[in-house]
Amino acid sequence: MSVLFVNAHSGMTEALFDQAEAEGKLRRVRQRDLTAAHFAEASGLITTMYLDQVGFLQHGESIQALLGRGGRWIFSGHMLRPPIPSLGIYVPLADPRRSDFALTRLSEHPIFAGIDQKALELNRGVAGFYGRGHNPMPQDATAINGLGPQNLPIDWDWVRPDGGCIFSHAGNDFWHNGDDVALHQVLADRAVAWAAGDRDR
Amino acid sequence: MSILAVHPGTFYHIESLEAPRYAGMFDRLVRPEDLQDVRLEDFRVVLIPCRTPAERMIAHAAQLRAYLDQGGTVIATGENDWAHYLPAIRFTPQETNWWWWLTPGADLGVQITAPGHALFKRLTRDDLSWHMHGWFDVPDGAEVLAVNESGRPILYIDTVTTNGRMILTSLDPFYHHGSHFMPATTRFLDGFLGWMREDLDR
Repeated sequence: MSVLFVNAHSGMTEALFDQAEAEGKLRRVRQRDLTAAHFAEASGLITTMYLDQVGFLQHGESIQALLGRGGRWIFSGHMLRPPIPSLGIYVPLADPRRSDFALTRLSEHPIFAGIDQKALELNRGVAGFYGRGHNPMPQDATAINGLGPQNLPIDWDWVRPDGGCIFSHAGNDFWHNGDDVALHQVLADRAVAWAAGDRDR
Repeated sequence: MSILAVHPGTFYHIESLEAPRYAGMFDRLVRPEDLQDVRLEDFRVVLIPCRTPAERMIAHAAQLRAYLDQGGTVIATGENDWAHYLPAIRFTPQETNWWWWLTPGADLGVQITAPGHALFKRLTRDDLSWHMHGWFDVPDGAEVLAVNESGRPILYIDTVTTNGRMILTSLDPFYHHGSHFMPATTRFLDGFLGWMREDLDR
């Protein structure tokens, strides 16, 4: 089984995931072509900021089934149309200042192990690309990275009582942040490994 | 019933089209796949926001053309492959300088070419200045409202190709506003959508 990566309607592809797909770890499917079988055949799921969230609602049962058998889902973006229960609606920062974009590691996580979160805070010296708000955490979720002085949970993961695990990132796709291009590939590879269940929580 | 907006469903579309700030600007939202079930003639304006995948619009090209030919108005904003579903679009992408504003005193170079147009009672040059994505070769007789640093059209109105009106821009305000990113894009939409509602919906 491989990780199901939902490609946007535009057909835009992510070169960072080419190698994983070539190695059979990942299967990319355009959103318009998604069927229940794709979810049933997957060990994990990755969706990006370009997800058609309105259209994705039709796959709620398939997502629940994937998670229910222990699958993992990486959601990257602003959650505005939760396709399954217990997920909240994205909360943007109000009138943010530079200090509100500071990132702080709150808990260790395999995707970020050994990576200084500060390396993802700036693009060309500009903060705010990583994210400008948070997707509310479900009860019993674990905050991974905090945003601003309040450490709003911009990244969290949640071991669901009904099975499976969700990792949420509330911003631009996290594997594209920071100025270190090599780090982008590391994050993409780790995202695939985590979604596949190959990396311990 | 007057303003119809196409709703592709990405978070920046949901925020831009459904959140309270602009929700009242649209009388109906329609998924691209459902366009064939809508009588476009019932609407004064059909708006196609930034980053609406062309593959979801191509099937509706004839419907849009018929709507234009009976006098309708189509607005389409940036980062779209308009030529796949709208007539007489000739677009040249340009490399986007995302970082121009980091240079003190820098000027993106946008110029308003029709300062007397009603739209510019609501918008200033700064409200059109965030990024450049490319320019249009417009048909003879089209009204160019703004140009890029090279004097190439980035916002224009075409009333010559069809019996209706096409308002095209390579600026991408819905994407950035819906991402809570660029204040200029919110100012642009404040003015542009206000103009759309009050001047085009008549």
